[in-house]
Amino acid sequence: MIEKLNNLFSNFTTQLEALSKQAEVLNLKADLLGKNGKVSEILSSLKNASLEEKKSIGALANKIKDDVQQLINQKLNALELEVINHKLASERIDISHLDSIKASGLYSGGYHPVTIVQKEIEEIFLSMGFEVLDGPHIEDEYHNFEALNIPKDHPARDMTDTFWFQRPDDTSVANKYLLRTHTSTIQVRGMKGKRPPFKFIAPGKVFRAERTDASHEMVFHQLEGMLVGENISVSHLIFFMKTILSEIFKKEVDVRLRPGFFPFVEPGFELDIKCLICGGGGCSVCKQSGWVELLPCGMVHPNVLRHGGIDTNKYNGFAFGLGLDRLVMLKYGIDDIRHLHGGDLRFVSQFKSY
Amino acid sequence: MIISLDWIKDFVKIPENLSAKEIGQKFTLATAEIEGITEVGAGLEEIKVAQILEIEKHPEADKLNLVTFKFEENAIKKVVCGASNVRVGMKVPYAPLGVRLPNGMVLEPKKIRGVLSEGMLCSKQELGLEEESHGLMELVADTTLGTSMLTYLQEMPDVLIEVDNKSLTHRPDLWGHFGIAREFATVFEQDLQNRFDKKWEERFTKMFTTDKSPIVPFVEINCSSLGYFGLSMNNVKVAPSPNWMQRRLKNIGLRPINNIVDVSNYVMLELGIPLHIFDRDKIKGEKLVIKQMNSDGVEFETLDEIKRKLIATDTVICDETGPLVLAGIMGGLSSGISDNTQNIFIEVANWKAADVRRTSARLGLRTDSSQRYEKSLDSQLLTRTMYRTVELMIELLPAAKVVGKLEYAGPAISNFSPLIIQTTVEKIATTLGHPVSKENMLNIFRRLDFKVVANGNNLAVEVPSYRSTKDVEVEADLIEEIGRIVGYDNIVPTSPLFRAVPVAYSNTQKFHQKIRNFLIHSSRAFEVMSYPMVGEKLLNRAAWPYDNALSIINPLSNDFCMMRNSLIPSILDTVALNQKNYTEFRFFELGRAYVKNAKEFRKEESHLGVAFFSQSNGQYLDLVNESERLLSSLNVPYQLAGKDKKFSSLVIPGGWMGAHPYEYYDLKIMGKNYGAIFSVHPILLREFKIRGNLAILILEMSAFENNNLKDKKKYEPLSKFPVVEFDCTVVMQSERSISSVLEPLSKLKLKELLSYKIVGQYDISEDKRSVTIRTIFGDKERTLSPEFIKSAEGQVISALSNAGLPLKE
Repeated sequence: MIEKLNNLFSNFTTQLEALSKQAEVLNLKADLLGKNGKVSEILSSLKNASLEEKKSIGALANKIKDDVQQLINQKLNALELEVINHKLASERIDISHLDSIKASGLYSGGYHPVTIVQKEIEEIFLSMGFEVLDGPHIEDEYHNFEALNIPKDHPARDMTDTFWFQRPDDTSVANKYLLRTHTSTIQVRGMKGKRPPFKFIAPGKVFRAERTDASHEMVFHQLEGMLVGENISVSHLIFFMKTILSEIFKKEVDVRLRPGFFPFVEPGFELDIKCLICGGGGCSVCKQSGWVELLPCGMVHPNVLRHGGIDTNKYNGFAFGLGLDRLVMLKYGIDDIRHLHGGDLRFVSQFKSY
Repeated sequence: MIISLDWIKDFVKIPENLSAKEIGQKFTLATAEIEGITEVGAGLEEIKVAQILEIEKHPEADKLNLVTFKFEENAIKKVVCGASNVRVGMKVPYAPLGVRLPNGMVLEPKKIRGVLSEGMLCSKQELGLEEESHGLMELVADTTLGTSMLTYLQEMPDVLIEVDNKSLTHRPDLWGHFGIAREFATVFEQDLQNRFDKKWEERFTKMFTTDKSPIVPFVEINCSSLGYFGLSMNNVKVAPSPNWMQRRLKNIGLRPINNIVDVSNYVMLELGIPLHIFDRDKIKGEKLVIKQMNSDGVEFETLDEIKRKLIATDTVICDETGPLVLAGIMGGLSSGISDNTQNIFIEVANWKAADVRRTSARLGLRTDSSQRYEKSLDSQLLTRTMYRTVELMIELLPAAKVVGKLEYAGPAISNFSPLIIQTTVEKIATTLGHPVSKENMLNIFRRLDFKVVANGNNLAVEVPSYRSTKDVEVEADLIEEIGRIVGYDNIVPTSPLFRAVPVAYSNTQKFHQKIRNFLIHSSRAFEVMSYPMVGEKLLNRAAWPYDNALSIINPLSNDFCMMRNSLIPSILDTVALNQKNYTEFRFFELGRAYVKNAKEFRKEESHLGVAFFSQSNGQYLDLVNESERLLSSLNVPYQLAGKDKKFSSLVIPGGWMGAHPYEYYDLKIMGKNYGAIFSVHPILLREFKIRGNLAILILEMSAFENNNLKDKKKYEPLSKFPVVEFDCTVVMQSERSISSVLEPLSKLKLKELLSYKIVGQYDISEDKRSVTIRTIFGDKERTLSPEFIKSAEGQVISALSNAGLPLKE
């Protein structure tokens, strides 16, 4: 009996080894452990055996039952894994065929470089309490010139610098329109209806009727800034400029003011920063002077404040203008300003966000 | 403008210890930008006259000689020399070691092919006298050995300072050396030597004779004259002007012509007021009339021998025959000084700045004279200018005589009342944010020629006439005078005290930022900018109407002659450009469209344009899906609508051929078609040579971008009871849109129907397809009973079949 059982088990292991299909394994299992299987068959023939025999054979039979069950499970698991692995192998993809190595499509996105720099600067000003304003590109003569203390005969009003929608010398049109030549138009628009103290910036497109080349564009971006309050001084202006420019350039910046003439400020200044390339020692970027001209600024002319409805006996303020495109070009080393409005994705995609 | 420091020193002492660079820097910080500094004649003093004694060949180089020479008794030297004109006995300039040559080169001791050269024999080029020279400069044979070249050339060393003209636009007083000298005097705290006082003037008024003035000016009203002085002189003789005068003129960049012309230029460069000298014998008649042309088309030949057409509003100075001078700009050829001129008439006048500027701009004729008049000159300075001219004329030509007296015509200028501005010491100091003492202020004002009457800290400041033509007008201008001389550099930066108020981006700004963020990070698109100006060529190509577009009257070119009324034509252009380089891309622009507006002339609309392009794959559904997600991320309530005949699109012109007939949705927002999503028609793609699929979203956002569009999401607790799914498959006509199968279910009044979506579809035949719909039922309060589910399923099926969607058999 015992021998029979042992033979049965060793036959089983040999047979199991050879099987390669789930169904065959299950058949083998039924053949051995099923109701009418071989193990049952042996056990049922035990009824005539002695108690002693019953005990030992029964124990062996149960052990064989457990072992068979375990081996079958192992075999089934192995077979299933094999099937899955086979399927995976047949469905294998080339995981190196990524978008990043594909020749001719664009698979990322990004902000325009002017947007990047503008946002950066806006956030610096916002953090110091400046609002961000906007205004029309097509302006009237009043906001572009008159309100900024630029008189009728000023050369800035010539045909040559400004895009006009009517002839500037046409006296039959009362309110003539033009493309704003600077963001300073927002000075008076911004002041209207505000009560000092206030401070704001106004970034945006400006237009000049100028022949274009690598460093001149007919459309470019400026950022105007203005602060109005009581007893505002040149000292305050220097403080804001120094603080903000240090934030923009991400290092301590030395600034200096020197006289500059702009009709809408008095006193007016040119603001220079100590050359960031040579640190003031003199190099080709600063033309050996140690200083680089960066932005015009000044104390707002009382005539401009009056156009903005501000009581000049009580309040004064300062204003400044930044050329955004120049900062963009400086930051990224862009050699041709015309790329900015060119719409060429070979240019824009270099500023991808991811 | 170039300033000669040597000339400046006629009027003010410059501290000896300052270098040219330091002078430039101080002037830049206090007055106007210096663009460059050149030292002329530097080193000339150390370059000596030498005579060549002996010439021998250089042992190692054929083309070089070893030249022995002496430049003083017993001072004999040897140099290596490559000049071909070298010969024994010749006198030449010799520059010893260590000298900085006028062309900037510094002589260092060095061996040339093994032989040490003790300095250098010079050519004219090396002395800065010629652009290019061949050979040594040969000096006059009887020159004494050892004479310095400074003496030989009668040169003076000088420092030339180039001032940026733009930074002088508001300072007419700085367009002559005397005015600049006053700035130097103030900046360097020196006394200005002003010799032009009353006593000086009297020397000239004494020269007037009782003769009738040979020429008398008359000024007609409505011309641009602000005052006209004329004086006649006899017995002049035209010759070259003296060396010192020629040198100064040359240094400043003016070509010396002859003594008479040179004097007029010299006085202008010194005092800043232009003048004109006539050959008096060429003036016909006894008077000059200053008037407007009053008629168009007369031709006038200016001194530069160019005939120019005058117009009625040009002011001219005429004799009996017609115009002789174009006022404030240039004289005529016919009455100019010639070699034979014997008698002259000197004009010193002032003209209206705007008139001069207009005429000179129209003729494209900008002269030293017009450039100054454009700045608004001071009529009070005219007599001084006249007398200085007479002074120099007599200095150069002692035989010359004044005839008659100084004649004047034009508006009265003798009863000039100066501008007085009130300010206070406190106001100046507070505005600068820097403590400046009253004494210091008074000192600065005095040096700048402002007269101050101080009553305690209240100051009544009288502005000099030459500063009040347009420069100094208000208190702020006075603050600038103090600030720039004190030095803005000395002001310590401080923060103002401000009320703390919260600031944030506006709704519109936030809206635009959200759009950018979404399109870049979710739709992987690039932001581009295109020109706000477009041309007819582009619009015609895009078949885009432009009757509502605004035209620029002075465009740079026809391609940028009007303001874009839509982003769409530019988008087509941008796609055409980029498809050459990429097979697939997405981009967007947030920009303005500009249209005519009856009330406000123009309306600037805020537009978004998005383009999806692929050479091979259809882009339309992707773009619509992306647009829906974008709009819902912006909380914009919208509806996709088929082309609607009743409600026209606000972004696509009626009848435009560029939109695809089937791939088109209007975006209905707040009842209006503010947007459209469409594929571009193949015919238009062909026109732009675009090969592929292009889908565009265009959106006009002005009406809602600044609304505070709130997120309306609301949380609902998850149901504790199970939901039941029910799928059913219906048959529909293929031409019907698949979304229409859900319509009957949307009208079903059954609150337990939580959701109905499409699972899939299958084409049965040419014209029929089956669509499987999944519905989900549930109730938050209870588990649905089998009976209820049965009846609900029945309601779904009958709703569908009532709408012509029978269950599939």
